[in-house]
Amino acid sequence: MRSLFSWLRKPDPLLVRNEEQFKRLDFRLPLPDYDYVVCDTELTGLHKRKDEIISIGAVRISRLQIELSSTFHTLVRPVKLDANQATFVHRITPEQLRKAPGIEEVLPRFVEYCSGALLVGHCISLDLHFLNLAIRKNLGGILSNPCVDTMTMARLYKELAGKRGVRFAGNPGSLVLDDLTAEFKLPRFKPHDALEDALQTAYLFLFLAKKLKSMGVQTLEDVRQLGRNKGEERLF
Amino acid sequence: MDKGHMASNGQVPSAPDVIVDFLGNIMPFKELDLQLLQDVARHVRVDFFPKGTWLLTMGESEVRFLYLIQQGGVKSFLTDEEGQTTLKDYRGEGEYIGALGIIRGTVANMNVETVEDTFCFLLPRDIFLDLITSQPGFAQYYLKSFSEKVVSTAYTELRKHRVARRGDEDLYLFSIKVEDIIGRTLRRIPVGASVQDAAKMMMRFSVGSLLLYENDEDNIVGIITDKDLRNKVVAAGMEMAMPVRKIMTSPVAAISSQAVCFDALIKMMSSGIHHLAVEDNGKITGIITSHDVMLLQGNSPYMLFKEISTQCSYPALYSLAQKIPGVVRNLINEGAKAGNIAQMVALLNDRVLAQLLRLVELELGRAPVPYCWLLLGCEGRKELTFKTGQENALVYADPEDDYQQRAAAVYFKELSKRTINHLVNCGYPVAEEQIIASDSRWCRPLRVWKDQYTTWLKGEPFAGVVEKGSFFDIRLGYGHKPLFEEIRAKIVKDARKYNGYLISAVNDCTNWRTPLAVFRDVIVEEDGKQESLFDIKEKGLAPYIHFARILALHYGIRETNTLARLAILAKEGRLDGELAGRIQEACEIQMHIQLIHQLHQYEVGSLPDSFIALGKLTELEKKMLRDGFELVGELNDLLQSLVKGIHKRQR
Repeated sequence: MRSLFSWLRKPDPLLVRNEEQFKRLDFRLPLPDYDYVVCDTELTGLHKRKDEIISIGAVRISRLQIELSSTFHTLVRPVKLDANQATFVHRITPEQLRKAPGIEEVLPRFVEYCSGALLVGHCISLDLHFLNLAIRKNLGGILSNPCVDTMTMARLYKELAGKRGVRFAGNPGSLVLDDLTAEFKLPRFKPHDALEDALQTAYLFLFLAKKLKSMGVQTLEDVRQLGRNKGEERLF
Repeated sequence: MDKGHMASNGQVPSAPDVIVDFLGNIMPFKELDLQLLQDVARHVRVDFFPKGTWLLTMGESEVRFLYLIQQGGVKSFLTDEEGQTTLKDYRGEGEYIGALGIIRGTVANMNVETVEDTFCFLLPRDIFLDLITSQPGFAQYYLKSFSEKVVSTAYTELRKHRVARRGDEDLYLFSIKVEDIIGRTLRRIPVGASVQDAAKMMMRFSVGSLLLYENDEDNIVGIITDKDLRNKVVAAGMEMAMPVRKIMTSPVAAISSQAVCFDALIKMMSSGIHHLAVEDNGKITGIITSHDVMLLQGNSPYMLFKEISTQCSYPALYSLAQKIPGVVRNLINEGAKAGNIAQMVALLNDRVLAQLLRLVELELGRAPVPYCWLLLGCEGRKELTFKTGQENALVYADPEDDYQQRAAAVYFKELSKRTINHLVNCGYPVAEEQIIASDSRWCRPLRVWKDQYTTWLKGEPFAGVVEKGSFFDIRLGYGHKPLFEEIRAKIVKDARKYNGYLISAVNDCTNWRTPLAVFRDVIVEEDGKQESLFDIKEKGLAPYIHFARILALHYGIRETNTLARLAILAKEGRLDGELAGRIQEACEIQMHIQLIHQLHQYEVGSLPDSFIALGKLTELEKKMLRDGFELVGELNDLLQSLVKGIHKRQR
């Protein structure tokens, strides 16, 4: 019953404050002028309603440099703790999850962490879906942070580079994070760890932002225009 | 993954493993304890610089971070007022940029540009400075690497004025003691001896000064120099029998053997004298001249060149020839590239050769017919820096009759035998199976040489010759130029006419085994064999040299130097300019690696070779080797299509 009421309840002041920060955000500034939070979530599975977050990793970027002074990394105790779930992929033991804080404890810290920053992720809409599902339930609202999808940027970069005759080795069509890492010869991190995946995505983001800049893609607005992500106003 | 460090509430300390691991693997950070390492890691920022990004601009950029290269590579270089750039260094993975600027609190002293897509860990200046002051190992590490890498290169002076005196000369003057530059044995004569006796003695020992003693050899009372003989005797019309006492300078100006050369120079300059007696515990042990100091100061190729040109005794030439490698270090410090250095060294070697041959000619009398001393192989290409061997030959004008033929054969046999011996004494060894002029097969009249080249170019085998290509990298060392010109014209003409040699040379090239890959510190060969030593001459450079030679022969290009051959091929449109550039770059880098390696061997007193320990190369250098291997495949394809073209035309 509590969850039904949460749809009616007023958003938590935390979320209101967060929303305030983006009200008058100008999307025509150069990319280095924004702060970003690159995040990655690990899930029990990909079922949009049933599955839950079991880990969140995030790093902050300012002036297009990754700041290692304040990374965000936590395990999350799911409501339905089932040993048979996908936790093996993430090499997280049920024991570790049992000791971890619940989502209600983690979310306020995470919202605080993302304060004033654009959210970046590889296929960010998926992470956002699960985050907002939980935030709606616990804090009565959603994240207002505009989002940048590195997958969109990667597709755009490949298109533009292709026009300039740049060829990539490996698997040219793929937009999977692993394949992109190999193609662009980025340093490799351990997969299936939320923080390391977030770092991997952050490296990809730096790479793409700087490469795109040299191709004339300077602002978020440029990314939106060229990346054809016109459906959603706050997704780039 | 180890989650052992995860706190019980599921939170993880914030420094990511990757940074801590990285720092824990590089000097001098690996010396820090784990706690401190994690603290440091937390302050790190990560940045990405696409290939071609200027990280720092000389004289302008404030250095706000220590840049630690996680992946990729950078080059640092100087730019002078005329916009000329001098490459100083490449840095790759695990190496740093910016330490000197931070420690000295100055702006960047070099331009730094990425040569690959590069990820750097940025350590803020203040954090780095804290480590420098709090960790003794840190200061020591960076200071040591500066004194090796930077201070000795005296880049500041170079940066300001290329033409001005170089900083390292000053260093020499301040660091070398007088006793270290005493060259000649001390010659002395009684003060009562005649002027003529003194002159004879000076001539015999080829010295420019004598010390004069009275009663006891150690009781030095004065000095005479050749200038005294000239000014005070000959020009003044004095008697040769007059005692030297009358013209000596007394007392002798002396300097302590422990003084530094700078003091000696000051003393000479201020007193206007060119000779100083060197004193050790009140005893005169030697003489130094302004010339000795100048030589030291200008360990410059030009000074050495001048010196060689004026020497006319074998021992003097031997010792001067040994000084040639010394100029290499200075040139490297000045930022010269391996190619330029080799050219300079070739000039000096040629000068030694010319002086030796002149002396030998004096001994043997005039040659019965004109001749040419030819240089082959490395020397012929002007690519020899350290004396790793001799390759030479001799051609003489066709004798008019049988008598002249026999006279020539005897004369040139003797001439080449003596010259080769002197060259050995100069430090140019002779290896077995090497082509040298004292071998009767390689000391022949013009007509025979011309026929020989024709048969070779037609594709007939080179009996008993290991390195066939050497004969096509031929250059005039000394002697009658028209003879050499005739041979060269013959080669150019016949190489266009006959394809036998070219086809077999291409086959040799494509059978060449280029290493497959460079992994960590080993090279993997095609047969799976792993080597930690890499023969950069045979496996690295040789393919480019052969490639350039084959194309040069095919297109009738007279030049022998590999880089120059490539430049001409590109200029004449025979070779894609971009490809030529890549080959040149690969060549230069490998020549440079070889040069630094040999310089190091030379300086520790071992014989220079071309075996590079891969463990000592930076990641970037290894990468460039790898790129070089890939390039060889491309060149072989080109050669193949060249041969196909030849076959087609013949059909």
